[in-house]
Amino acid sequence: MRTLMKNLTDVPQGTRVRVRHLQSIPELCSRLRELGFCEDAVVRCVVNGSRQLICEVCNTRIGMHHSIARTILVTPYE
Amino acid sequence: MTHMADTPTIRHVALVGNPNCGKTTLFNALTGLRQKVGNYPGVTVEKKEGIMSSNDGPDIIVLDLPGTYSLIASSPDEMVVAEVLLGHIKHTPLPDAVICVVDASNLERNLYLVSQIIDHGLPTIVALNMIDLAEASGVTIDIRKLSDALGVPVIPTVAKKNKGTDALRRALHKGLTPSSRTMLWRVPDAVHKELDELSGLLSARHRFSPAAAHHEALMLLSSPKPLDTGHANIDPEIRAHVLQDYQKLDFLGVDRFSVFIEARYRWVKEVCASAVSPSLRTGASTSDKVDAVLTHKVWGVVIFFALMSFMFQMIFSWAELPMNLIGSGFASLSAAVGSALPPGDFHDLMINGVISGVGAVVTFLPQILLLFFFLSLLEDSGYMARAAYVMDRIMSSVGLHGKSFIPMLSSFACAIPGIMATRTIENPKDRLVTILVSPLMSCSARLPVYALMIAAFIPPLSVFGVFSLPGIVLIALFATGMLAALAMAWTFKKTLLKGISLPFLMELPPYKMPSLKSTGIHMWERGFIFLKKAGTIILGISIMLWFLATYPKADHGSSSDKLAYSFVGRAGKFIEPAIVPLGFDWKIGIGLLSSLLQREVFVSTMGTIYNIEDGNTGSMRQAMQRDVNPVTGRPAFTALTAVCIMVYYVLAMQCLSTLVVVRRETNSWKWPMFQFAYMSVLAYVVTFAVYRVGLMLGY
Repeated sequence: MRTLMKNLTDVPQGTRVRVRHLQSIPELCSRLRELGFCEDAVVRCVVNGSRQLICEVCNTRIGMHHSIARTILVTPYE
Repeated sequence: MTHMADTPTIRHVALVGNPNCGKTTLFNALTGLRQKVGNYPGVTVEKKEGIMSSNDGPDIIVLDLPGTYSLIASSPDEMVVAEVLLGHIKHTPLPDAVICVVDASNLERNLYLVSQIIDHGLPTIVALNMIDLAEASGVTIDIRKLSDALGVPVIPTVAKKNKGTDALRRALHKGLTPSSRTMLWRVPDAVHKELDELSGLLSARHRFSPAAAHHEALMLLSSPKPLDTGHANIDPEIRAHVLQDYQKLDFLGVDRFSVFIEARYRWVKEVCASAVSPSLRTGASTSDKVDAVLTHKVWGVVIFFALMSFMFQMIFSWAELPMNLIGSGFASLSAAVGSALPPGDFHDLMINGVISGVGAVVTFLPQILLLFFFLSLLEDSGYMARAAYVMDRIMSSVGLHGKSFIPMLSSFACAIPGIMATRTIENPKDRLVTILVSPLMSCSARLPVYALMIAAFIPPLSVFGVFSLPGIVLIALFATGMLAALAMAWTFKKTLLKGISLPFLMELPPYKMPSLKSTGIHMWERGFIFLKKAGTIILGISIMLWFLATYPKADHGSSSDKLAYSFVGRAGKFIEPAIVPLGFDWKIGIGLLSSLLQREVFVSTMGTIYNIEDGNTGSMRQAMQRDVNPVTGRPAFTALTAVCIMVYYVLAMQCLSTLVVVRRETNSWKWPMFQFAYMSVLAYVVTFAVYRVGLMLGY
């Protein structure tokens, strides 16, 4: 499973993925989870720019810097 | 429902919800204009209360709590929500009931907070807000099933259109009971056992209510903050117990930071699966396409600056006609009062002090209303958060992130709400830097100064056939303030307030058609505040200034000599040596001194001085254009002087109210004093440089 995981930054625009793991400091992980980025949550990448991205989780759009998106490990949504 | 007859009468209701769920719109719909804004004791979080009236029962006090994602607080705002719901805040009674506002199109994330509130054991009602948008996006919600799953009444509402508010009022008057379906989320038995044990210990030691003990136990077990921070008064026995719990959970391989959040989300998913039919629409939505353009790394920035330019051009051009009308109105008033009163000091006071002083400031009301109109549209449409996203690239280059941009953009209207908006910034150093630089953004109080100088000394030339020179100068002034704010932020982050900033992470609210009604209310509120200030503080200062500019009276000499002989003339002359290097004379010095506490007083001061000096002939603008420096024989005001005055006002901190708010937000006089000092020095140095360069260029 781990080998199939990739960072949210690597997800192309318009693609749905499933959150598998958060790898950051506890404060950030808690905030991300409260925003809906729980393990197993479905995330859709709306815009993926060179430094930031916009994704949709629980029907809410969240803008984030790539350095945060890199801490969100995802697998393809099936 | 006969049991409802035994439920206690509801007197206090708290309104709780996620940010952007329409909570404040619902608050406005329930309470109208019967609102009171204050602060919670000891913290800088705004307390907003209103009275809800209804034919169904007595008045109910509604408390609008700050928007929060969770009751496990990570900011001062969120902490207040949790404390109010536990009844731990002085002078704020424990609410009799909670209205939990949820965004119907975003139910899953919103129900996370609902589950926490239900666990508090307070009678709760859910307002399923923006149900129209959810239905329009293809989401169907079975209200009955949702209500059964949560164990509380659920009322669909559209706060913006006042729909569902009567049903909410009726439900509150009928009475509510706590949900019977608390703690339905499940964690592993071992975790549950530790949670129960700790709750029991907290109840016994601190005499907490079951809800408070449960909340505190959850906070202690799951909070990412170290035990030493945020739990200062923790009992040693409880502390030892919590540390033991950490070890046990680690040993069991339980991630204590995620186990509770995930358990709640699992429960929320079950509720949603039973009550919500999600939208089946796929493919890129209109919002996706709009976001792709508005947040594009090139087009996003271009659109942002184009919007800002349009805004400032429009503020200048659309306001012209109503400003002229107001100006003519005051001129007619002055003429009527002048002819009705016999000559003498009272005549002069009314004409030169009251009418010209207040009129000079009130004339700028249309520009201020337009500024708030545009800012309100940007906020309500959902664009403001996109602007923060776009500006993150620029903000991060000075060590801040895009979130700091919203307080700075709000400061275009007024630095006070801008500084208060910094509360959402989690990093204390970033927050302080944002507070220190926000007053450099040109606020509405500077607008009268800019408008007076531009109208008097910048010719209305057309540039490229599209733009007007006055509009471009206005944009340049706002841009100067923004660049100065960025430069100072970079300096502070490199020196005084070094530290690593958290990267950008922010919810982007859905695009919405702004409500003209709420924009109108916002403009009315701001306009009223402005007029109130003109009718009280500025009126008082104008009368005082007239007195100081009239007495002591010189027996002979020109009007300029008489003004120089007066108290303000002497004060202006006293500071003149310090301001001559900036190209300013003693009359401008009077303006600088009188506007130390409020910038716009500069305009009323000029109105009073030039009306007194000019003997009521012509407008203040013409009088300033005609004024000649008796020493040099050159005009007292040139285009260069006007530019220097505007640059000085861009950079100087001349607002007592802002300093008081900074004191409140930083809990010390050290930072407002520092802010006043650095901005004054910056204004002096930059104005000096502009004047010298202007002279060298032959202006």
